[in-house]
Amino acid sequence: MRWSFRRPSFWQLVFIVILGAGLYSTVIRFTRGLGASTALSDAFPWGLWIGFDVLCGVALAAGGFTLSAVVYIFNIERFRPIIRPTILTAFLGYVLVIVALLFDLGRPYRIWHPLVMWNPHSVMFEVAWCVMLYTTVLALEFSPMVFERLRLERPLRILHALTVPLVILGVILSTLHQSSLGSLYLIVPEKLHPLWYSPLLPVFFFISAIALGCAMTIFESFLSYRAFRKRLEIDLLADLGKVTVVALAVYLVLRVQDLARRDVLARALEPTYEGRMFLAETLMGVIGPILLLSIRRIRMDHFGLFVSAVLVVLGFIMNRLNVSITGMEASSGVSYFPSWTELSVTLMIVALGFAFFGLAVKYLPVFPEMERLPAPTLVEPPAVAVLRRPWIGTTPLVLILGGIFFVSAMGSAYSGLQYRERMFAPATSGEESEPEIAEGLERFEVPPDITFPQGEASPGPVTFRHASHLNWERPNCTVCHHEPFRILKASGRGAPSPARDLHDERHCGRCHDGRTSFSVKEDCTACHRP
Amino acid sequence: MGGKKGLLFDVTLCIGCGACYEACKERNRLPRTVAHFLDDQLSDRTYTVVKKRGGRFIRQLCMHCEVPTCVSVCPVGALEKTATGPVIYHEARCIGCRYCMLACPFDIPKYEWGKVLPRVRKCDLCADRLAAGRPTACAEVCPTGATKFGDRQALIEEARARIRARPQKYVPRIYGLEEVGGTSVLLLSDVPFERLGYRTDLLSEPLPLLTWQVLQKIPDFVVVGSVLLGGIWWITNRRREVQIREREERKRRGASEEVSRDPSASGFVGPSQEEE
Ligand code: SF4
Ligand code: SF4
Ligand code: SF4
Repeated sequence: MRWSFRRPSFWQLVFIVILGAGLYSTVIRFTRGLGASTALSDAFPWGLWIGFDVLCGVALAAGGFTLSAVVYIFNIERFRPIIRPTILTAFLGYVLVIVALLFDLGRPYRIWHPLVMWNPHSVMFEVAWCVMLYTTVLALEFSPMVFERLRLERPLRILHALTVPLVILGVILSTLHQSSLGSLYLIVPEKLHPLWYSPLLPVFFFISAIALGCAMTIFESFLSYRAFRKRLEIDLLADLGKVTVVALAVYLVLRVQDLARRDVLARALEPTYEGRMFLAETLMGVIGPILLLSIRRIRMDHFGLFVSAVLVVLGFIMNRLNVSITGMEASSGVSYFPSWTELSVTLMIVALGFAFFGLAVKYLPVFPEMERLPAPTLVEPPAVAVLRRPWIGTTPLVLILGGIFFVSAMGSAYSGLQYRERMFAPATSGEESEPEIAEGLERFEVPPDITFPQGEASPGPVTFRHASHLNWERPNCTVCHHEPFRILKASGRGAPSPARDLHDERHCGRCHDGRTSFSVKEDCTACHRP
Repeated sequence: MGGKKGLLFDVTLCIGCGACYEACKERNRLPRTVAHFLDDQLSDRTYTVVKKRGGRFIRQLCMHCEVPTCVSVCPVGALEKTATGPVIYHEARCIGCRYCMLACPFDIPKYEWGKVLPRVRKCDLCADRLAAGRPTACAEVCPTGATKFGDRQALIEEARARIRARPQKYVPRIYGLEEVGGTSVLLLSDVPFERLGYRTDLLSEPLPLLTWQVLQKIPDFVVVGSVLLGGIWWITNRRREVQIREREERKRRGASEEVSRDPSASGFVGPSQEEE
C-alpha cells in the first residue's frame, strides 16, 4: 500500500505550510490568550472553533454510527467492507474535536472538570460526557485494526465478544450527542434567527447528521479510491446514496413544516442576509442532492455520486455555520468573521485529520478485504478518469470551503453594518433631548457635610459641603468619586485624620489648584472658618 | 433576614449621577475604563453601567434571575443561585466554555479576553455585603433612591404601591416579575421598556425549561433505545443464524459435502463474509 498522489511534493508542501501556520497560531493562542488570537468578543463568544470544528467535526463522524448500526445491529452484511474506514473517520473526528476544544476552552487544562463537577441540567454537560464516552467506544471499535496489525489474538477475541454491546452503546451515545449539539441552541430562543431556531433543533441535527454520515462515507470512499487506489464499491455507495435521499427528504419535510407552523416560512424568501443563507443551504445541501440522487443514472455514475455527496457535505457545513454564526449575528449586534489564527488552526486540524487517515490506511488493515484483491484493473469510465486527476478531490473541497467562508464573510460584514445601526440607535422620540430627571432631583438627598478636625497650624476647621461642589442641573458623582475619593461609606474607619495634609493634589488641591477652582494657597478663610 | 434580597430600579428617579457605577467599581476594585462613565459598557472591568436611552437614564447589571439560565447551562456548576438571591461565580470550577455568555438572555456575563487564563466576570449582587447584612454598594450610594435594596417580596409590594399611587405616570408593569421566570432585579418605568432598550420579547417561563424538557428524557431514551437496538440485533442475528444453518443443511444434503470455512474471528470483520 503506497501513497500515490500524483504530485506528492506539492501536497506535502501545502501540508507543511498549513501545519506551520497552524503551529504558529497555536503558540499565539496559548501565550497571548483568546482575545489576541480570535475574533471572538463578549458579544460573540462562540465562533469558528465551535461552529465548524466541533459542530461539524462531530457530525462528520456520523458515518461511523450509522454504518455500524446497519452492519452489526440490522445485520445487513453487504456494507461490511466499508465499515472500517468510517469508524476510523469517526474516531479521528472525535479526537480532533477534542483537540479543537482544547483551543477553544478558556481553561483547557480543566477539560476534565465535567467528570467530577456535575450539572445534569446543562446540555454542555451532556455533550462533554458524550464526547468522552463515545471517543472511548470509538477507540475500542478502532483498536482491532491495531491489534490485528500487531497480531494480538487475545484482545481481539475479547473485543469481538464485545462488538454488539459496544455498537449499541455507540449508537445510543451518538444519537444523544448529535441531537444535543442542536439542543445547545434551544436555550437561545430570542437570540437565534427564527429560520434556524426551532424546538425541533435536536431532531434536525440528528437527521441531518445521518444524511451527512452517508454522504461522508461516499465522499471518503472516493478519496481513498483516488489516493490509495481502493476498489470502489459503487453499488454499495449508490445504496448509501438512496439512504441519503430518504434522510434528506425526511429532514426537508420536517423543516418546512416546522417553519410553516411557526409562521416564518416567508422569511426565507426575504432579501435579507439570513434569507439568502437559508436558501443557499437548503438548495445546495438538501434539495439539490435529493434531485440528483433520485436519478438512478446519476446515482450509479461515479462523478454524479461524488458531486452529490460533496453537495450534502457542504450544505451541512453551511447549516451548522448558519446556526452558530449567521443566525446569531443579528441579535449579537456585531458581525463576526474568524481571525486568520482561528482559520489556520482549523485548517491545521482538518489537515491533520487527512494526514492521520492516510497514515492509518498505510499502516493498518483499514481496508482488509481489499488487500486480498489484485490491484484494480477496472476499465475506467471517463468520469472516473476525471476524478483521478490531481485537481479533483481534495482541491475542490478546499476551494469550495474557502468560497463558503468568503461568501459568509462578505455577507456578514455587510449585515453587521446594518445591524449595528438597528440595535444601537433605537428610534425614540426623546433621544436627542437630555433625559428627564426632575423627579429624581426632587428626591435627591445630598450626602452629608464632612467636618474635618482642625490641624495644629490651621486657622480653623474645614467643612466640606457636597451641596456646594455639585452641578445642580446635572449632578455627576464620578467627577470626584474615583480614587482617591472613595464613594462607599468607610466601614468603621471614622473621620479623616487631622494629621494628614489635605492641601496636596490627592485631596483638596486636586481641584483647588488655581485653574479648576481657586487655589488652596489663596484666601485661607474661604474654607477655614474659625 | 431570611427572604430573597433584590434591587428595585425606578427609571423615573434616576438622575444619571453615576454614583452606582463608581461604587460598583470601588467595591469590586475595578480599574477606570473610560473618560466619561456614560460611554462605558459592560465588560470584564465594568459590572454595571448607566446609559442614556429613550429620554431616561437606565442601569444595566446582572438581573439575578430566579431560575438563571447561566446557572443551568454551566456544565461544571461554576455559577450558583444562592438562597438569598445573588447568582455567584466559582472561578475555580469554570472551564471557560462561555456557554453562560451565549445563553444569558440579558447578555450579562463577560470574559477576560485579554488574559491567558481568563475568568467570567459579572455583578454578584455584592454577595459578601449581603451576607454581612448590608445593602449592595450601588444601592447604598444612590442619592435619589432610584436603586433600592430590600427583600424581593417587599420590593414587589412597593413597586405595586408606586404604580397604584400614580397610575397615569407609570407603565403598569414591573419588569422582572415575569421575564424568564422572574428576576431579583426589578424595574419600574414611565416609558415603555422597549424604548429604554430592555428586551421585552422574552418568554415568561424560565429558559432552562426549554433544555430540561429534552434532557429529562435521556435516561428513558438510553434504556428504551438499548433494549430496542438489542432486540433488533437479537432478531436479525437469529434470522441470520437460521439462514446459515439452513444453508449448511442444504449443503450437507446436497452432493458435494463441502465443509463451510471457519468464519474468521478477526475482530470487526466478523464472521459471515461468505453470505450471498
Ligand atoms: S441575568 Fe444572565 S447572568 Fe444574570 S442571573 Fe440571569 S442569566 Fe445569569
Ligand atoms: S464559561 Fe465557565 S461559568 Fe460559563 S458556562 Fe462555561 S464553565 Fe460555566
Ligand atoms: S450589586 Fe454590587 S456588583 Fe452588582 S452592580 Fe451593584 S455594586 Fe456592582
